Amino acid sequence: MFNLRLLLVSGKGGVGKSAVTAALAMLGARRGLRVLALAMTDDLGLASHLGIDHLSHRPTEIRPGLDAAAVDRTRALDEYLRLQLHAPRIAPLGPISRGLNALADTVPGIRDIITIGKALYEAGSTEWDIVVTDTPPLGQLGSYLRAPQVIAGLVPVGRIRDQAASMEGELADSHHAGLVMVSVPEELPVVETMGAFNELTGLIAMTDVITNRMLARLPVSEEKLATIASDPHREAGLLHRSLFSSQQQWRAQLPQGPEVPYFFGVHTPGEAAALIAESLEDQV
Amino acid sequence: MTNAILIAGGGGVGKTTIAAALGVAAAEAGHRTLVLTVDPARRLASALGLEELTNQPNPNPKQQGLYAAMLDSAASWDAIARRHAPPDVAERLITNPLFEAVAHRFPSGQSYAAAEEMVTHLESGEWDLVVVDTPPAAGGIEFFSAAARMRELVGGRLLRWLTGARLPGRRGLFNFAGRPALRLADALLGGPLLEQVAEFLFDLRTTYDGISAKALDIDAHLGRAHAVVVTTTDAGPIREARRFYQEGLSPALVVFNRSLPTAWAGEVEPIEDGRAAAALNHNLNRWGVEVRRQTEVQAEFASRFPTPLASVMWMPESPVDLESLGRLVVDAHDLNLKLLGI
Repeated sequence: MFNLRLLLVSGKGGVGKSAVTAALAMLGARRGLRVLALAMTDDLGLASHLGIDHLSHRPTEIRPGLDAAAVDRTRALDEYLRLQLHAPRIAPLGPISRGLNALADTVPGIRDIITIGKALYEAGSTEWDIVVTDTPPLGQLGSYLRAPQVIAGLVPVGRIRDQAASMEGELADSHHAGLVMVSVPEELPVVETMGAFNELTGLIAMTDVITNRMLARLPVSEEKLATIASDPHREAGLLHRSLFSSQQQWRAQLPQGPEVPYFFGVHTPGEAAALIAESLEDQV
Repeated sequence: MTNAILIAGGGGVGKTTIAAALGVAAAEAGHRTLVLTVDPARRLASALGLEELTNQPNPNPKQQGLYAAMLDSAASWDAIARRHAPPDVAERLITNPLFEAVAHRFPSGQSYAAAEEMVTHLESGEWDLVVVDTPPAAGGIEFFSAAARMRELVGGRLLRWLTGARLPGRRGLFNFAGRPALRLADALLGGPLLEQVAEFLFDLRTTYDGISAKALDIDAHLGRAHAVVVTTTDAGPIREARRFYQEGLSPALVVFNRSLPTAWAGEVEPIEDGRAAAALNHNLNRWGVEVRRQTEVQAEFASRFPTPLASVMWMPESPVDLESLGRLVVDAHDLNLKLLGI
């Protein structure tokens, strides 16, 4: 996956996609690549997993080889107007900017294409070997990836339409961009992952499905457990066994791919990302 | 008066399950209860009696007084247009592709549609209790500000920005002369689309009076409702839970889902006999570490925020029948239904 220029990391909410994004970015940097970790929405998940308080729109170096940033809606629109449409700079919070932002929220596809456009723009920059994005959850991913088509359908002519056509091509180019889906072996995440798998075919190459929070087998039979007198030992054993067997069932429905173990007692988001990176080291 | 319970929280924490479980417990206690749900797993939907995902209240065949319905945002946007716009404008809005896009993509749209549906049920006089599984956007916080945002959307500010200071008739919307902002918008979208947008906004503005009145109504109901924040001890869900307080909201109850028995973290004598001993000691040890982490996260949360906390035990499979949904409430710790008016 590290031979691509753009890696979109997504998954159902709560499966650990920000932690996996941070882990993949750290792995890339460890392998000598110049990496940009980019949050496509400005929530704080990615920042905390990278061990920092806050991400800004302008990429900031966190450690050698690893920069991070978060797409800021207003500034991304401003950038888009200047870089792609050659418009003059506008005051970030002035009335023109507010109006254009409201417009971008009303017309389908505009906000999405500006956001995904930012990721593609950075992926095309010579500053980075690879851009790893913390992408909105699977439920919203389709509208980002389909934005170029939506624009093409709505806007008959003009620069934004030409832009959209070239973005569609870049996203679909399996040598350029790929999607990493993060899942956990439970009903809803698995159903949603497989649904997305079908829905997004053709829009972007599926690079990998990473299964997070896998429990290891407990080598004690249920019959044996029933004979254990110590309540905590027996109950913890039974919970572990039944969680494990339920996980195996759902895991079987996901494609082959890297697995991340369940980490017990991990306190900080940064610690979690480091452990995930370590476990993925030999798998990606 | 109908009591409302709003279930909110980050993605993947088990909101829908807990909404269903509270609904079952309330119906068992004799309250005529409606559960409004967003995106249930198939088996949970069928446990609620929603074999077909409909937005009409469906009686549960196995539990008297329990009804469930889906919050269908697309269908309710159509209803919003029909309710608040003149008939001919409503039809034009519903068939406008921009309307569909706004219905699906305007960040507060789904939440507003859900809030209107909720209010309709709260005011119907048919229910003792309505339990609302809030839409997932932004951890459910948005549900509480959706009415204000919606009013702003239809309020015509963007339209005035596009068309100049005053609201014109449907014809002759634009005067590009001396309006650099409009030239930028034109560069972004092109003239024909811009005109389409303005016409759409013009139609949408006819809903303003209705939506303004409804927004006040929604806010009044939200102010009276019991909000329940569901979280786990993971960093993401905790961050979402904290945002409630940062936004000045005060939940009635915070539920920590996927909790583990605290006894596992205590001083437990290792077992010594037999081949399984090493594996079981190791297993209890790692789960004990997890329990200590959970306890610390909960204690930290409790020290910061004054809301009563409850915990729901971690179950290997999420409950998908009425009996286990009912048991979830019984087995929970400190889940005081009186705090929620049940």
